[in-house]
Amino acid sequence: MLNPALAAIAAVTIAGGVLAVSAREPRATILGLLIVMLASPLIVEPWPGPLPILARVAAAFLAARLLVIGVRTDGSSGIEVVSSGSAIGWPAEALAAAAAAVLGFASHGLGAAGLGPAEAQAASFALAGLAAAPLIAGRDVLRLGVGSLLLLDAALLLRLGLDQPPTAAEQLVASLLTIGIGGAVAVVATAARAAGGLVVPDETRRRSRPPDAHRPAGRTQERAAGRAPERAPSRTDSPRS
Amino acid sequence: MTIVPILIIAAISGSASLLVRGNRPWSTGIAILGLVGMVATSIALGATATIEIGGTTLAASDWLRLYAILGSVVGLLLVLVDVSALHEADAPGVIVLGLGAAVLALALPDPVIAVAAATAGGLAGVLVAAPVGAAARAAFVGVRELRALAVAGSLAIVATAWLARPLADLATAPAVFGLAYLAFAVAVAIRFGAIPFHLWAARVADAAPGVALPLLMAWGPAAFAAVALVWIDHSVAPLLLPFDGERAVVAGVGAVSIVLGLVAAWIQDDLEHVVGYTIVADAGFVVLGLTVFEPGIWAPTRTWLLVFVVVRSALAALMVALNGSFGTRRLSELDGWARRAPALAVALVGIAIATIGWPGQLAWDARASIAGLALPDPLATLVTIAPIGGLAVYGRILAAGVRPSGDAVRAGRSERPGWPVPWPARPMVGRGSIELGFERVGHAVGGLLDVLWTLPAAARLNRMGLAALAVLALTGLSLGVAAGGLDVAAAARAVTVVGEPIPSSGPARSGAPVGSATPGLSPTPEVTFEPIGSAPAGQPVGSVEP
Repeated sequence: MLNPALAAIAAVTIAGGVLAVSAREPRATILGLLIVMLASPLIVEPWPGPLPILARVAAAFLAARLLVIGVRTDGSSGIEVVSSGSAIGWPAEALAAAAAAVLGFASHGLGAAGLGPAEAQAASFALAGLAAAPLIAGRDVLRLGVGSLLLLDAALLLRLGLDQPPTAAEQLVASLLTIGIGGAVAVVATAARAAGGLVVPDETRRRSRPPDAHRPAGRTQERAAGRAPERAPSRTDSPRS
Repeated sequence: MTIVPILIIAAISGSASLLVRGNRPWSTGIAILGLVGMVATSIALGATATIEIGGTTLAASDWLRLYAILGSVVGLLLVLVDVSALHEADAPGVIVLGLGAAVLALALPDPVIAVAAATAGGLAGVLVAAPVGAAARAAFVGVRELRALAVAGSLAIVATAWLARPLADLATAPAVFGLAYLAFAVAVAIRFGAIPFHLWAARVADAAPGVALPLLMAWGPAAFAAVALVWIDHSVAPLLLPFDGERAVVAGVGAVSIVLGLVAAWIQDDLEHVVGYTIVADAGFVVLGLTVFEPGIWAPTRTWLLVFVVVRSALAALMVALNGSFGTRRLSELDGWARRAPALAVALVGIAIATIGWPGQLAWDARASIAGLALPDPLATLVTIAPIGGLAVYGRILAAGVRPSGDAVRAGRSERPGWPVPWPARPMVGRGSIELGFERVGHAVGGLLDVLWTLPAAARLNRMGLAALAVLALTGLSLGVAAGGLDVAAAARAVTVVGEPIPSSGPARSGAPVGSATPGLSPTPEVTFEPIGSAPAGQPVGSVEP
């Protein structure tokens, strides 16, 4: 049975996830993450008490604040911090998330009776689907961090959908986890920004060796390095077919 | 005393240490104070003390108490070695916070919450893997670690949540149970960096400070694995399902990690990589322990968990001391190190003895029990004797140490003790016994003051000697724990009792896995399963308990 209030909160959570993975502007990404971190603990029935909610809200704001510190632009360095964003655009991300949400809603309980709301499992599947691309193919640290945060949030949401409502202590530990992952993403973002930008080289990826016909000639490399003077193309310089 | 004071001290001192990270002496001093406080509160911890907070019980046990004591003492000695040798930023605070989170995870009887706590503690390690101001490569190492932690944590949270509810009306019981078990076991393998999930761990071993490696790769994942062991014991084992395929996969990961981890450690030139891969090899036995669903696996696995984290901490401390002495951690540049630092050479021999052991020694027997229970006989024997291959790893390091000294070693610091200023001459000029008595008292007070105000300079001058002393202390602790000191075996057999105390002699039950080794914890509710193949065709696999 669909609970409209929980469904609305789940939709807001998913929208926050879509914003987080699609935006190129880091502040928009962090806003999306903040929405996810604030809304996801509320997709539970009955709602947690005021103190656990306060702990989760405080943790979400603290994590977001740490993220802002990690990506804020340093005026003196002139480095503009821009994330690579989604390669397929927000509409496609939103559709993929919606499809995953439907799958999660339909498979509530994963084979057995789920003790939590189906909306939580729907949001969990959507966030996990959104996290997949940044985690697997992300090449900048903010995007990889966003994927990690969304994946952990998806796991916590799935737990809300499968099991009984969390205790206050569990909410407290989840708050610590939220702060921890926010801080960890902020640390790697700060380190990457200090090294020149959010995109960092993956040393484990081998460069493909271009075929000999397409490799730059020695003279072209020297010209690129500024050692050889430019000269008018002659017959001998013409490319061979 | 309950677990709460340890957690409060860890949270306050770890956070404060990181908050004042700009002032390194203060940051380190606060962390050292916190570790001293953790040692004291761990010793005072009652083995059966419980406290309920927010609807969840935090329960201590003998094993948790020993983990907390050893973790605090080892952390303190690691920080002392680091201060003497290299003084890396942030490492002390991260050690305190990581240990606190691990203790919290072990005190939580609900695996879902415990996994979240263990993952949160692991995240603190990102701070030292990708320090601010480091190269772009460090940022990528940090984000790889973050991704590994997130994936492992998510797998474990989902697996534990899946089996935490009534499962009487399952449609396809064995497959999904197997997936849940496999997910948590793989999560443990990822946290340890077991082969083939070792790439992130290798990068972390390269980038993180050597003194933080034991926490990142051993102490934190060990708490995670202990949670997995409890979960398997009371949620998976009672199901009486064989999970042959899943267990074979996990056993393969464990066995391959043991063998290839040692091979990788043997061929590495970077000493921190050597530490990292030996941890991977040792963690293979823990992964193997997760494949056994009998109560008999409980004690050896938890024994080995404590032994290997202490021994690897000693090895990491040794490598940090070598790096601090000679300014390099490449073995090819450390020719002759043992001649300049004989105490560290003695420590290396001690660590090798503690690690490899011999039949009859607690560590050896624990490994043999795990391999014997997890693997068929010829393979079990091979895996049991595989750690003897560690002799090649330690022999190679020691062989480099006895060669003629290289440039780095000649230019490095020595362990030889020194004093920063010459002792002042104090000739006796008095006449008579009273005068001479006054003179002697005065000289004694003056000499004491001379010593006191020269102590800081003397500590700086004898940094390598002090580091070597701390490494020797860690080595002694390793030898003691590996031989069964501190009552490790009894602590490993102990169980956490939550709620009403249930008389139990621990997991020393015999026979098939008819129950769990953790009787105080509620098993997977409302479901019993017959072993696959015993149920008649058409009859549902699961049945509700009356």
